[in-house]
Amino acid sequence: MQPSTDSGSDEHTENKATEATLKIPFETAKSAEIAYRVLSVDKEPRRNFVKKDLTLVGDQIEVHFVADQVKNLRTAITSFFGALLLCTDTIKEFELKNSDNDNAGAHASANSA
Amino acid sequence: MVCALGIEGSANKIGVGIIRDGEVLANVRRTYVTPPGEGFLPKETAAHHRDFIHQLIKQALKESQLQPKDLDVICYTKGPGMAPPLLIGAIVARTLSLLWEIPLLGVNHCIGHIEMGRLITGAVNPIVLYVSGGNTQVIAYSNKRYRIFGETIDIAVGNCLDRFARIIKLSNDPSPGYNIEQLAKCGKNYIKLPYVVKGMDVSFSGILSHIEDLADPSKRRNKRKKAEITVEEPEYTKEDLCYSLQETIFAMLVEITERAMAHCESNEVLIVGGVGCNERLQEMMRIMCEERGGKLFAIDERYCIDNGLMIAHAGAEMFRSGTRMSFEDSFVTQRYRTDEVLVTWRDD
Repeated sequence: MQPSTDSGSDEHTENKATEATLKIPFETAKSAEIAYRVLSVDKEPRRNFVKKDLTLVGDQIEVHFVADQVKNLRTAITSFFGALLLCTDTIKEFELKNSDNDNAGAHASANSA
Repeated sequence: MVCALGIEGSANKIGVGIIRDGEVLANVRRTYVTPPGEGFLPKETAAHHRDFIHQLIKQALKESQLQPKDLDVICYTKGPGMAPPLLIGAIVARTLSLLWEIPLLGVNHCIGHIEMGRLITGAVNPIVLYVSGGNTQVIAYSNKRYRIFGETIDIAVGNCLDRFARIIKLSNDPSPGYNIEQLAKCGKNYIKLPYVVKGMDVSFSGILSHIEDLADPSKRRNKRKKAEITVEEPEYTKEDLCYSLQETIFAMLVEITERAMAHCESNEVLIVGGVGCNERLQEMMRIMCEERGGKLFAIDERYCIDNGLMIAHAGAEMFRSGTRMSFEDSFVTQRYRTDEVLVTWRDD
C-alpha cells in the first residue's frame, strides 16, 4: 500500500475528457445577460458526469462542457440547446417594447431604466 | 394588494393563471392527451408544454386585461413532478421575471392545491385529502406546516386509476379517471378486491396487479398455472371492474380521512387534486362527513385538476407574507414534500 499515488491519478487513460465550447451571440448585451442568468441556474444532473461552465462575455455567452463520454456530452448539449431556445423564444415573444419614448428618435434616452 | 401570474407544468397539464387579491382574472390550461393504452412520458410531455406555454401566457394576459407591469410576482411550480416538464415552466418564468423586472417565486405544487381549495370553498382549517395522479396524502395544518398524516406507500391513487384505464384501453380524453367514473356508473356487481389500509397509510399497487389479472388473465405472469386458467375464469365486464375498483380505493381513502378527522377533532374535509373531481369520491366522503356531523368541501375540475391559478394564488399568499426567493434558487426539484414548506401566511 503506497499512500503517495493519489497525486498522480491523472495518468489513467480513462481520465481523457471530451470537451466542447459553444459561443452564442445575442442581439443585445441585455438579452445575453438574461439568458446567462436563466441558464446558469440549472446544474447538470450528477449521474451525467458532465461539467458545464457558463461565462458571459459582452453580448455573447460561452459554454464549456467537459464530459467523460461522448454520449453524455451529446445529451448535455442537446438539453442545453433546448433550454437556450426556449429562453430566447420567450425573450422574443415577451420583450417589452419601449412604447413610452418611441415617438422621438432619441436612442440615448431609451436606456433610462 | 398582490397580483400574481402562475405557471404550472409538473405533469401532463400546462396552465397559466392570474389572480389579484383572491379575484380570479384568468385560468387557462392545455392537457397533453395520449392515445388509449399509453401513458405520458417526460420528454414528450415537455415538448407539448413548450409548444403551448407562450400562447397560454398571452391568452391569460389578454383575458385579465393586464399589462406585464401590473404584476407583482411571477410564480412557477418548483416541484414535485417530472423534471423535463417542470423545467419548461421554470425557464419561461425566470426569463419573464428578468425581462419584466418582476420578482420570481417557486411554489410547492401540493401547497398550491391546498390553498386553491381553501380559497374557493372558504374552508378555514380542514383535513385535506390530496388525491391526484402523482400524490395521495391526508394533510392537516399544525404549527406553520401542512403535516402529512397518511399517504400512499407505493403508487398514487390516480396512477392506479390511470394504469387500469390503460389496461382496459379506455380513452385518455378528457382524462382516464373521468372515463372510469362514467363506466362505473353502469357497474352492477361488486367484485371483491384487496383492501389495503396500513395504519394511516394506503397501498394501491397490489390492488392494481390484482385487477389487472382479472381484466386480462392472458397477461398473467405466472405461466406455469396456465392449465388452471382455462378451467373457470369468470367473465367480468369493464363496467363492473371500474365500479369495484372505485368503490374499494375510495373506501380506503374515506377511512384514513375519517381517522385523521377523529385524531385532529376536525369536522371539515377538503378534497383537492385531480381525482378530487370524481363525484363518487365526493359522495362517499360526504356521507362519512354527515354521519360525523361534519362538512365536506369539494371543488370542480377548473380548480381541482392542476392549473396555473393555484400556483399564482399560493405564490401570492407567500409573497404577501414576505417570502422572497433569490434568483439562483429558482431551480426545480422532482421531490419536494408538502411539509417542507414553512406556512408563513397563516396565523392560526
